[in-house]
Amino acid sequence: MTDGQRQIWQVCKGPAAVWLALLVLFSANVASAYLPLGSGNVAVNLCVAAAMVVILATFLMGLRNSTILLRIIALSGLFWTAVMFTLTFNDYLSRHY
Amino acid sequence: MTDAALQEPWPNLRLQREGVSVGMWMFLVSEVLFFSGLFATYAVYRSFNAEAFRVAGAHTEILYGSINTVLLLTSSLTMTVALRAATARMHEATLVCLALTAAIGLAFLACKGLEYHDDLSKHLFPGENFPLNPPSTAMFWGLYWIMTGIHAIHLSAGIAVVLVVFVLFKRGIIPVQDSTMEGVAIYWHFVDSVWLVLYPLLYLVGRS
Repeated sequence: MTDGQRQIWQVCKGPAAVWLALLVLFSANVASAYLPLGSGNVAVNLCVAAAMVVILATFLMGLRNSTILLRIIALSGLFWTAVMFTLTFNDYLSRHY
Repeated sequence: MTDAALQEPWPNLRLQREGVSVGMWMFLVSEVLFFSGLFATYAVYRSFNAEAFRVAGAHTEILYGSINTVLLLTSSLTMTVALRAATARMHEATLVCLALTAAIGLAFLACKGLEYHDDLSKHLFPGENFPLNPPSTAMFWGLYWIMTGIHAIHLSAGIAVVLVVFVLFKRGIIPVQDSTMEGVAIYWHFVDSVWLVLYPLLYLVGRS
């Protein structure tokens, strides 16, 4: 292997491993959608999707090696999303039609 | 250290790259909340119309959706390799990966266009000739068009940015460097992440 090839391999091998892991999770997600799990289907599908997003954010978006400040900013998006969902469903699920 | 990649007011490239990351992530947090509003709308409607969403979801084109998911995951791979190549100052590899990323993004849009064509030929657009029952299935399809449409607009913006950066690098207007690539890559991965959540909500419903 030449120096150039070795350099390209160094650049590619980490992202390629993450890509393969994401493809495996994606396949599992599609397969699980056809299992008769009732309301469990959506739970499984969303959990797998969440795992894929976490892997993508951690390894490809670089949060694994980022500063604490950056991680706090990224998590603030999830925090305010949780607030939005909590307040929204607090209203809708407590209504008596 | 004098480096053509270093811009005012940053004292070094490390801080410059961190500055780009912080700015892009703060923008993306606002985008997360924008999409969360759509996801919350979907969740509320689905919680009250579970059966209608199951019926409506079974009519989405899972093949197109799955091909597009694989395309976006692959584009995230090429984008990450482009960023790492830029960090290693590998000029040619960066350009090749940027071009591949834009091409895969365009392939996604082409596939989406074919899917939209199929959907419209089946009248799956809320309105007069909407074929599904119960009527609340139209809620699902209304959200389908809004969510996938907004995602496609975001992806189109990403493709445009990738192409601009490609031209800037290619013509040597700005040097191949990681801080420029960092911002582009984070945005691209975010658009990919949104699709990873949209896919099960729109394409895996009502399959069992």
